[in-house]
Amino acid sequence: MTDTLPLNPSHAADSLPTSVEAEQGQPDFRSYIKGMTFFDPHVHMTSRTTDDYQAMADAGIVALIEPAFWLGQPRTGLATFKDYYSSLVGWERFRSSQFGIKHYCTIGLNSREANNEALAEQVMEILPLFLYKEGVVGVGEIGFDDQTAAEEKYYRLQLELAKEANLPVQIHTPHRNKKLGTERSMAIALEHGLDPSMVIVDHNNEETVKSVLNQGFWTAFTIYPFTKMGNERMVEVVRQYGPERIMVNSAADWGISDPLAVPKTAALMHLKGIPEAHIRLVTYQNAIDAFARSGQINTADFTDVLPIDQSQTFNGNTVLRGGQQPRIDKNDLIIR
Amino acid sequence: MSLIHVFYELIKNSATQQEQQWLTTKTAASTPALLAAFVATPRFIGRHAIQITEKNRSELADLVPDWPIESWTLDRLCRVFLLLYLESHDKTAYIRSIETLFDTAELQELVALYSALPVLAYPEHWVFRATEAVRSNMGPVFDAVALGNPYPAAHFSEAAWNQLVLKCIFNDKPIHRIVGLDQRANQQLADNLSDFAHERWAAGRQVPPQVWRLVSKFMNETLFEDIKALFSSPVLPNQQAAALVSAEMDYEPAHQGLGAYPDWKKAIRDGALSWQMLES
Repeated sequence: MTDTLPLNPSHAADSLPTSVEAEQGQPDFRSYIKGMTFFDPHVHMTSRTTDDYQAMADAGIVALIEPAFWLGQPRTGLATFKDYYSSLVGWERFRSSQFGIKHYCTIGLNSREANNEALAEQVMEILPLFLYKEGVVGVGEIGFDDQTAAEEKYYRLQLELAKEANLPVQIHTPHRNKKLGTERSMAIALEHGLDPSMVIVDHNNEETVKSVLNQGFWTAFTIYPFTKMGNERMVEVVRQYGPERIMVNSAADWGISDPLAVPKTAALMHLKGIPEAHIRLVTYQNAIDAFARSGQINTADFTDVLPIDQSQTFNGNTVLRGGQQPRIDKNDLIIR
Repeated sequence: MSLIHVFYELIKNSATQQEQQWLTTKTAASTPALLAAFVATPRFIGRHAIQITEKNRSELADLVPDWPIESWTLDRLCRVFLLLYLESHDKTAYIRSIETLFDTAELQELVALYSALPVLAYPEHWVFRATEAVRSNMGPVFDAVALGNPYPAAHFSEAAWNQLVLKCIFNDKPIHRIVGLDQRANQQLADNLSDFAHERWAAGRQVPPQVWRLVSKFMNETLFEDIKALFSSPVLPNQQAAALVSAEMDYEPAHQGLGAYPDWKKAIRDGALSWQMLES
């Protein structure tokens, strides 16, 4: 199912030749963002390969947030939820660290699986075991899919959990009836007394952005081919609304998606004349400011080159640094 | 002096007043609050290297020998400290509490839990759990059990022990940091090591020279062929390893072999050549 999006009227008016160049000549986008660092606040690494981590690190991504989500088919028991949450704070965290990328996550019961009420009840019981973990920066991604009564029930219950834990909320807005679903998600959050500065409303588009910004929420955009935002449209959104409270993510997952969407969008913004300071806000700093409200983000963890955990350095033995993976040349025919 | 006391002295070296206060409150708390404190530790305790004095070291060694904790961070130390306060009289409840912590642990919690194995109650109960860490591909989790931890040497079966050592070698870990390495060396491990070396050589890869320290006491014809191969290796540390093995083993052909290398023999006698030199 795709969103119903209007054609973007503004990108055609842009006279810079670079979008054509980008389509035809494939210049390396990395050359436009040299030395920049990025924070992708929504990416499902569980569904991605280790090569993606390497490419993300090469493109300047230093930290990311992996929201708990739907795995593509319904889970049938509590144990698989537990193992999934556990992997977000365990294995995935380690996998990411091998590429020097700091891995955070948000933990929640996704909207689709909220519809299996018997299971949802059990999941609600174990959520607090994970919400207070180190590096858990929010409750998410939660919200509406079909916009059923069950989805609303567990959305409300999880808003209360977030309030109690003093954690930000990462809201997934639905693909279908998006405008209505977005408004409803915000109204319910306000009804529960959440401060909009503790709420990140995700998957916005040209139709929802104004209202979300006006109500004081963090306004996130997902650059995801075919069904969500394209990055040319994203450039125009930032040009029109400025960088305040806006952040870009990839939401890359098991679908046709792009884990480099954030750095690529930064490169396109650079080419289209968006000021560097604005690019930095929407591709790095705003996400940090929003999710740091959890108290779980220490920027030194990804601004310092060497890991600060002395237990992983072992007298300088690089093998045990828990650090970088050895590089292989992907273009080399020979595999050793 | 109790373990709790020794740990508290260590914590005082490295923790602020505020951190110590938080810990003291939590040690007096109920079991659920204590478990929650274990999880929440990094919210209140820093993650920096701990300071350890000679006095701390010897006091700890009196209670738990061979437990080098100087590479720990403060949060790891405090988490293990909190576990020392867990009520252990009710075996079922105690085990359930620890298992729950394991089952829901994030990366740093796993490191702390596995680091605590030498001082958990009912030590025989945690053998399977410890072998799960050896199966782990998460580097820091594996290391927490395999290196600087006296639990495996004390409780692992020979098969589990050999897996641990072989996996360390396979992953180029510094085997000299395995506690009990020499004491638990065995024939099976020495034979496995020979097979492993042959595979590596066939692939054109190297074997870290210090691993040969594991074969000295278990020499047989096959292994001796390996040692001869090391002697003729162009890699100097391989020759040094061969010399060290030859000097240690009770195998007549080897001593004749070493006779051809008087320089090595002298270096070993003078202490100029030792396994420590090959540790990396």
